[in-house]
Amino acid sequence: MKTVFIVVFTTIFLAGCQTTKPMYEYENYSESFYSMKKEGGDETAAEWKISLENIIDKSKVKAVRVPPGVYANLGYIHLKANNSEKAIAFFEQEKQIYPEASKFMDNLIRKAKTQG
Amino acid sequence: MYIISKVKVLLISLVVLGVSGCVAPPTYVTKGEEFPAMYVEKPKSLLIMPPINLSTAAEAKEYYSTTVEMPIALHGYYTFPYQLTADVLKQQGVYDSELVYDIPLTKFYDYFGADAVLFTKIIHWDTSYTVVASTLTVSIDAEIKSTKTSEVLWHYNGTVVVDLSANGGGGGMAGLLINAIATAINTAAADYTTYAKMANGRFVGSIPYGPYHPMYLKDQQMKLIQQHDEKTEQKPVETGIKHTAN
Repeated sequence: MKTVFIVVFTTIFLAGCQTTKPMYEYENYSESFYSMKKEGGDETAAEWKISLENIIDKSKVKAVRVPPGVYANLGYIHLKANNSEKAIAFFEQEKQIYPEASKFMDNLIRKAKTQG
Repeated sequence: MYIISKVKVLLISLVVLGVSGCVAPPTYVTKGEEFPAMYVEKPKSLLIMPPINLSTAAEAKEYYSTTVEMPIALHGYYTFPYQLTADVLKQQGVYDSELVYDIPLTKFYDYFGADAVLFTKIIHWDTSYTVVASTLTVSIDAEIKSTKTSEVLWHYNGTVVVDLSANGGGGGMAGLLINAIATAINTAAADYTTYAKMANGRFVGSIPYGPYHPMYLKDQQMKLIQQHDEKTEQKPVETGIKHTAN
């Protein structure tokens, strides 16, 4: 009796997985974003950066598209840290996956270049 | 078996809630009927504006702003990185979204390349107290406006009302006292963003799906509850969520 139940549940579970494969891997994006806004400081900002990097790693593992804005946010963090080269590389990546971002990213790349 | 009986209880409580909640039956409309402009313009990218805070809670604006990106992106739209765009807007002198609400929105296309702009208004973000009960309310009005025409393409409201009073303290004066104490405890611990996410869920569901979603341009027949936003006060939707002290 017990095995029957397990089999049934497993089947339901697997069938459910196929249709509801998550579109994106967001990890703890919203939680770390909230902590940064609420508490401020370098520590929460560093945690947010880590969560952005984790999203990229996890998305690669799960073979899903990196969510909109993640590369751009990372680029912005590097831009603020005066690391223009890295910033530009991330802005380019955002553009590559999301052509919708092209105009904005081009503006940011131009800014990063003048910043040097 | 435990799971099955839990499901039953849930079903029964849903029915009970449904029946007791029937003040006026809601009118259902399809997404296609209600928001035809969305299917004509087909915006692909949404610029999320900093929330307009009409509530009495000053911190609501910052806190709420962290909850909007994810559900909109998961609904299939390209969402511009909020942290970055909010800073850019500030640098351009847009400290408050109210300032740009009524002006032509073409400049948001010119700089960001955004097809449309999402405005959110925090209507309620508060807890009302009485001796025996207290309710937490999060209410958000949301609008998508075209950057081509500045016209409203879509608008909806998401409201969540949470009963924070802990029932089950028993009857009589003693029960009343216990409830009052438990209520105070629960209110202090209430995390608004959890409920803000639920309120978001209520309005996001009514947006026609975006291009990255498999249901893109296939949801015109999907039904939703028609909302009347003119003059008539927003009727909050009871969630039936009970917070009980452990």
